[in-house]
Order: sequence, then structure tokens, then C-alpha cells
Amino acid sequence: MRLLRLASLLALAVAPLPVSAQGSVNVYNWSDYIAEDQLKAFEKDTGIKVNYTTYDSNEILDAKLKTGKSGYDVVVPTASPFFVRQLAAGIYQPLDKAKLKNWSNLDPEILAALAKYDPGNAHGVPWMWGTTGIGYNVAEIRKRLPDAPVDSLRMIFDPAVVSKFKDCGVMLLDSATDVLPAALKYLGLDPDSKKPEDLAKAADVVKAVRPFVRKFHSSEYINALAGGNICLAFGFSGDVFQARDRAAKAKDKREIAYAIPKEGSLLWIDVAAVPKDAPNPANALRFLDFLMEAKVAAASSELTGYANGNKAALALLPKDISSNPLIYPPADVRANFYTITAGTPEQTRERTRLWTAVKTGR
Amino acid sequence: MRLVIALPFVWLGVFFLLPFALVLAIALGANAPDSVPPVELGLSPKNFALLFTDDLYLAAWLTSLRIAAVSTLAALLLGYPMAYAIARAAPARRPLLLMLVVLPFWTSFLIRIYAWMGLLDENGLLNQFLRWSGIVADPGTLLGTEWAVHLGIVYAYLPFMVLPLYATLEKLDVSLLEAAADLGARPFAAFLTITLPLSLPGIVAGCLLVFIPAVGEFVIPDLLGGTGTLMIGKVLWDEFFTNGDWPLASAVAICLLVLLAGPIALFQRQQAKGLERRT
Amino acid sequence: MSGPIVRIEGLAKRFGAVTAVDRVDLDIERGALFALLGGSGCGKTTLLRLLAGFETPDGGRVLIDGQDMTGVPPHLRPVNMMFQSYALFPHMSVADNVAYGLRREGGGGAETDRRVGEALDQVRLADFAKRRPAQLSGGQRQRVALARALIKRPKLLLLDEPLAALDRKLREGTRFELVRLQAELGLTFVMVTHDQEEAMSMASTLAVMDAGRIVQVGAPHDVYERPASRFVAGFIGLANILEAPGGRWVALRPEKIVLSAARPDLPHASAGKVVDIAYEGARSLCRVALDDGRTMLAATSDGAFRRGQDVWLGWAADAGHPLDE
Repeated sequence: MRLLRLASLLALAVAPLPVSAQGSVNVYNWSDYIAEDQLKAFEKDTGIKVNYTTYDSNEILDAKLKTGKSGYDVVVPTASPFFVRQLAAGIYQPLDKAKLKNWSNLDPEILAALAKYDPGNAHGVPWMWGTTGIGYNVAEIRKRLPDAPVDSLRMIFDPAVVSKFKDCGVMLLDSATDVLPAALKYLGLDPDSKKPEDLAKAADVVKAVRPFVRKFHSSEYINALAGGNICLAFGFSGDVFQARDRAAKAKDKREIAYAIPKEGSLLWIDVAAVPKDAPNPANALRFLDFLMEAKVAAASSELTGYANGNKAALALLPKDISSNPLIYPPADVRANFYTITAGTPEQTRERTRLWTAVKTGR
Repeated sequence: MRLVIALPFVWLGVFFLLPFALVLAIALGANAPDSVPPVELGLSPKNFALLFTDDLYLAAWLTSLRIAAVSTLAALLLGYPMAYAIARAAPARRPLLLMLVVLPFWTSFLIRIYAWMGLLDENGLLNQFLRWSGIVADPGTLLGTEWAVHLGIVYAYLPFMVLPLYATLEKLDVSLLEAAADLGARPFAAFLTITLPLSLPGIVAGCLLVFIPAVGEFVIPDLLGGTGTLMIGKVLWDEFFTNGDWPLASAVAICLLVLLAGPIALFQRQQAKGLERRT
Repeated sequence: MSGPIVRIEGLAKRFGAVTAVDRVDLDIERGALFALLGGSGCGKTTLLRLLAGFETPDGGRVLIDGQDMTGVPPHLRPVNMMFQSYALFPHMSVADNVAYGLRREGGGGAETDRRVGEALDQVRLADFAKRRPAQLSGGQRQRVALARALIKRPKLLLLDEPLAALDRKLREGTRFELVRLQAELGLTFVMVTHDQEEAMSMASTLAVMDAGRIVQVGAPHDVYERPASRFVAGFIGLANILEAPGGRWVALRPEKIVLSAARPDLPHASAGKVVDIAYEGARSLCRVALDDGRTMLAATSDGAFRRGQDVWLGWAADAGHPLDE
């Protein structure tokens, strides 16, 4: 008898969230991703309580969603490769756009890019987006190579260039889905190519510069750039901005800069979506609609320093964000943005396998 | 009373056998990325077969064994003198010294490993010191090398080495060493012929307690290691998170456990033998 | 070579506030079976450990065979010791235990094997060579410890309570064996014991220790017959301590007293009553309450006395031994 009670206690402890009372919404989001005063305003306006929890890696979110019964109403995965894979697994419910009166605020260009993963934008609302590019320590790069091609993928893929920076430290993202497409782009091939021979060529590009790369890692470069431990990184725009701000505040004032490669940049988009088994689907839609309000998106962009997928918010943003070409790039740069598709599980495995071989120099 | 006896078995059942059975069931299934959870149950050994056909897994396994073995040896060489010194310290001071060994456990493991990153960085404290003191003008960076991984493992697991060694050394009868000296053994010879063989149970226990978790270590190589350091824990992580292939990840986990079963069984036998001897 | 094998000069050792050995001077003759006798805490074991080199003296020095041992570590001293706990190496066979000392000298091979075999024969353990100490009886272990300590033919064998861990029956036999071995080998044995019977029956010379000092040295018979102090008289054997005229004290052994029903024709005679009788087989020991209020012990081989019986005690003029204090 006692054991039974113990078992039920255990079951309770394992359940991810308490049964939601009427009038609440369970939001699982990246940390520091929504302006907090806006959240309070939502609660006040709607009377819906927001249970707001945060994560800092797509992988954690992915594992929770794939286990089923996550208990979340709104989650914000990155479009590729996470959201698209989760979509294929049937994790998300289609959105009832009739209930999303702010849908028209969204940026058609970003919606079009997102539609490549989610045809007809049936399941996801674009939240923040950015580019993949080159972060560098201005002084260190200039000292070693005064005419360094900072706005070109040659910075990271041309051995003659990268080798100059080996001593001050180079880091690349540890991500087959970010680096291999960039290498394909550098070779002038289709960045979304799944052909083994194309991928092999891309792998050779990375292998050639591997001796000059200190580490492949998807988050360490933020601290490393800010702290002056490396001078060059291939990473996400938002992360490099973080490093730049931190370095500027440091006592030895390092100047960190970001450049969008002129060959083209992989566009990343974080997408707000509603899981099929969301306990409060109606409140989830109200929350999505709230995210699409121009002032909410604008306030959050001010907090994060990222561009948002909300065209109406642009007018509300301070000039140093809305006219910053690194955040909201001009049309000719945007024309070179690309996205990639998920591919089959076999292709995913082959790509990961190839990536592991590249990284370990096998 | 019956409940008290049953408790360890219930514990084992709920927290080991049940999860193990689940992982095994997943490992025998097939990857089904279009469903939740992404597993199609079955009874296929193909995930295990893949582990033996792709030399990536073998290579990762061998690297893990090598790194774990070298780290274990280093922990032994460092931990033995520590345990010896504590066992020979005045009895009143031993609790304090033991507490100092265990003290780092009061801080989060992750924070301690991050602290090592700060020490070993290009501009970290270690290099700052080397440059300032003029010992090495351009020290390079230790972070991101296999040395850093060894260092991290030795640091993190040292208490697991020191405590069992201390337990055996503390029990060692000092008169045996006096007898050895009396019979003409120099202190070092006495150590080799008496102390060392008699502390063998502690050496075996300490080495296994370090070796077993070090083989599957993920966090330390990820944070302190370089990209070239491919350990089995990282492969498992890649299979689960990057490829989203739960069945194959489960197969890797099962193989890891089975391959460690040998050392674990050895450890258990050593413990049982120790118990017998004491009674 | 001549002169004593061991010469101890002004040796002192303190542990914190406790003086364990207090400025001891002592010579031990070559070929002696020398017993250090005393109660627990008297410093006898510390003195032994100072000889072995396990303790460093706070003052004075030890010479062994004329060589100053100051600063010489245990492994370089021409001395071997048999420990009270035997300190056998539990992870080695009997043969390996015995061979240990020879191997430390770089010995090995056939010569070592021969000597180990010889040593094991000597202590009747040849059949046990391959066993581990844990598989032996207490007496067998004691013999292994002895063989191990003797194999290097030390100038001096130190024995710390060699019989204490054995049961009584075994002890008797082992006593004779140790004495025989010592005579055969012609070595000097220094033995520590708290058991006066053991010391008396084995030693050629014994030293009585009290509070860190040696209070008397001599042959067992001399020490027994002529104790130097009340302490020695009381510690070795039984003695009646009597006050003699002039404030002197006299020790009177119970066996020097004649017990009779009628007044004996002896210079000293007192009447009294038997209070207790302890039957010891060969003799009985009677506690007699004298009419003058004193109580005395008397030994008799006559089994006729009963408790409560009126008796006479008598002794000769030279029966008592005058004490120094």
C-alpha cells in the first residue's frame, strides 16, 4: 500500500508540469528572448497566467518534444534542422489563422523563406532571425593580415588566409547543417545539395583548414571572442553581437566585429509553434497573436539585438537597429540568403558521419 | 522489516532494470523520425550490427579507453601519495584532510569544469602566469588538447581514487613496515614489497571508480577537449541529439554498459573479497 | 671481540610530558638471554625499540658491538626483532616471509632457498613453507616470526613479549625451545616481558624496570634472593615485607617460613590463625593473621592445615633479606 503511494508520488515528480488550470499558457522559450514587461502586459490584458520556462539549446527542446506529452503550449525552435524535423514527426498542430488577427504584421520575405520548411506557413510564426557569418577581433586580424577579406568565406575556408590566424585562435560552429552548406556555397555549389560527391568536396574544404582551427563548438566562441582567447569565428550573428557587447564592456576594450559573407549567408529563423498535445491550445493562439503585435516584437528586438519577422515592428525600432546593415541587411545582401531542407534520416546520418570524420581528421 | 529488505531491490528495479529494459527495447527498434517518440519498436539487431561495421564507433571506443586509462593512471600517481599522507597524518587531523579532498564536490561539477576553462585559456590564469614570470614567452594553449581532458578527468575524479586508497592504507599495520625495516629493507623497498601489495585492493577499487565513469565521460572532453578528441560519449550525444536517432544512440549506450560490465564485475568481486576478509 | 655486546649510556626518551626511558645505563653481555622485566608503561618496550632504532633517543646513546648506533636507521642495524604481534607479512608465504631479510641483501636463488629450508627445519615448519600466515595456528606463527628474525644471524635478537600471544600450555614448551635455540646459536637475546615467571625461568640475566629506570640487574636467582628494593621484592615472586629494628625493611619469602602447630625452635616465632589457604599442588600458600595484627604469607607442603586453625610461624635469623629502602 505504502509502496503504491510512493509510486504515485514518483509519477507526479516525473510529470513535466502541473496540470494547467484554466486561464494559463505554458511557454518554453530561449532565455532572454521576450521583453519581460510585455509578458506582464499580456497577463494583465488577457488574465491568462504565463508559465514561462527557458532553455538554451535546441537539443534539449527537441528531446522533450520527441518524448511526447511535453505539456507546453508554445515553443520556439530554430527552423532548420529542428523545427522542420519536428514538423515531419507531426509534433505541431496547424494554426487557425482566423484567430491570428496580427498575422498581416509579418514580413512576407521571411515568411517565404520559412515556407521552404513549412509549406504555406501552416504551423509556425517567425520570431527572431539572423545570419551566419564571420566574427572577428578587429585589431588582431589587422595586425596579421591588414587586407584580410573579412566579408568573404575565404576568411574561414581559404587555408592561405586562415593559417595566418592559427596563433590567435579560430573556432567554427560544430554543426554539419551550418558549416557544410557554407563550404558548398564557397565552392559555388548548391548549399542545399544532398549529393554525396558535393558533400565530399565541401568536407575537403573544411579538412584543409582543420589544422588551423582550434575547436569546433556551437557556443564557446561567444566567450572566447569576448575574452580575447580567439580572434576569428564562424557563427551566428546574434552570438557574435553578444560577444561584441561583452568585449566592449571589458576593461581592455576589445573591438569585435561581424561580417555577412558576400558569397551568401545561411538564414536562421526561430519559429513559434504549438505542439499538437498542447493543454491550452486556445490560450496558445492568443499568445502567438500577442507575439505578432508590432510593439511586442519591437521591444524584444531591442532586448536581443536581433531582427524580427515582423514588418510592422520595423517602424517602432530605434534607428541603430532598423538601419543597421548587419541586423537588417539591404536588399542586395538579402538576395544572397539561403536556407536548406532537412533531407532523409539516411542523409542526416551520412552528413553527421562525414562531419565527425572532418572534425577528427580521420 | 520485509520492506527494508525489499527496498534495495525495488530501487534496483525502478532505477536500473526498468530504464535498462526501456533502453534495450529502443535499441532493438528502428529509427522513426516521423513519429513521437521517434522509435518503431521491433526486435532487430541491425543497430548493433552497425556499431561493428562502422569503424567510427570502434575508433571512438578505443580513444575513450585510452583517455580513461591514461587519466586513471595519472589519478593513481597523484592520488596515492595524497592518500598515503592522509593515512599517516595524526589521527586528529585526518578528518580535516579528508574533507579537503571531498570539498570540491560542494560546488557544481559544471562550474568547476568551466573554472578550468578560465584557467587554461589562451589568456587564462595559467598562461598569464607563464608570461608574467617569463618561464615561457609564448606558452600556446592547453585548452582544447587531450592534455586538458586528462587534467579535467583527473581533477574531477581524484576523490574517487583517494578515498578507497585511504581506506586500505589507513588499515595497514605500521608494525609490518617496522618489521620490513628491521629485516633490512630501505624505506622504498619496504614500500614496494609491503605497502604497495597490501594496498592493491584500494588501487583496484580506486582505478575502477575513476576508469568506469571516465570512459563514458562527455562534459569534460566537450568543454576542455579539442575537436580531434572523439570519445564514445560524444558519439552517443551526436546520435541522440544531432541525428535524432534514438535506437542507435540506445545501442551505443547498451554497448558501453556491456563493455564496462567486465570492469564493474571486477570491482564488485574485489569489494566482496574485501568484505569476506574483514569478517 | 670483547666487552659487552650492548652498551647503553644515559639513554632517555620522552613522549610529550611522559618520560618513558629515564637516563638508563646498562651493559648486556655477549651470549646472554637478557630479560627486561616490568609492569605495563615502565618503559621496557620503548627501550627495546630504541635498540632496534624505531625510536630516536632524546639523550644518551646505544653502542652495539662497540659501534655507536646514533643516527643509524633500523635497516642498517645488526639487530633483528620478533614483534609481539609477530608482524608477519600477510600477502607472502611462510617461506617468503622467512626469506625476506636475505632478499633485501640482494640474496636469492639456491643459497637463499637452502637457508630458508634450514631455518624452517629449525622451527619444525618445513611442511608449511607454502602456506600463508592466516592459515597457521598461533604457535606456528610465532615460530615463523622467530625463523624470520633469526635468518640473518643478527648480533642481537630482540623479542617483544615473545610468549604473550600464546596459550598457557604452548607457552611452557616454547620457553624451553627459545632457551635451547639461544644456547645452540650462541646469540644474544634481549627479551621484554611483563611476566616475572617467564623472566625468571628463561633469562640468564634480568633487569627490572620501573618508571623508566632500571632498578635492579642480576641473575634471576640473585634478584629473587636479594631484591634491592621493596618494589623488586614485591614484583618478583611473593614476599612478606617486615619492618626490622632501626627502621630497616626486610623481605621474607613465604617458603623461608616454617609453619607448624606447635611453637618452633627458631629465633623468630609468632602465633596466629590461618585466614586463607591457596592450594597450588606441590605446595599450599597460607595467609596467616598474627596475634600482633600483621598478616603474613607462608608456604607449606603439608596439607594438614585448615582455615581457622591456630598455628605458629617461625624463620631463621638469615631468612630475611634486608632492603635498601
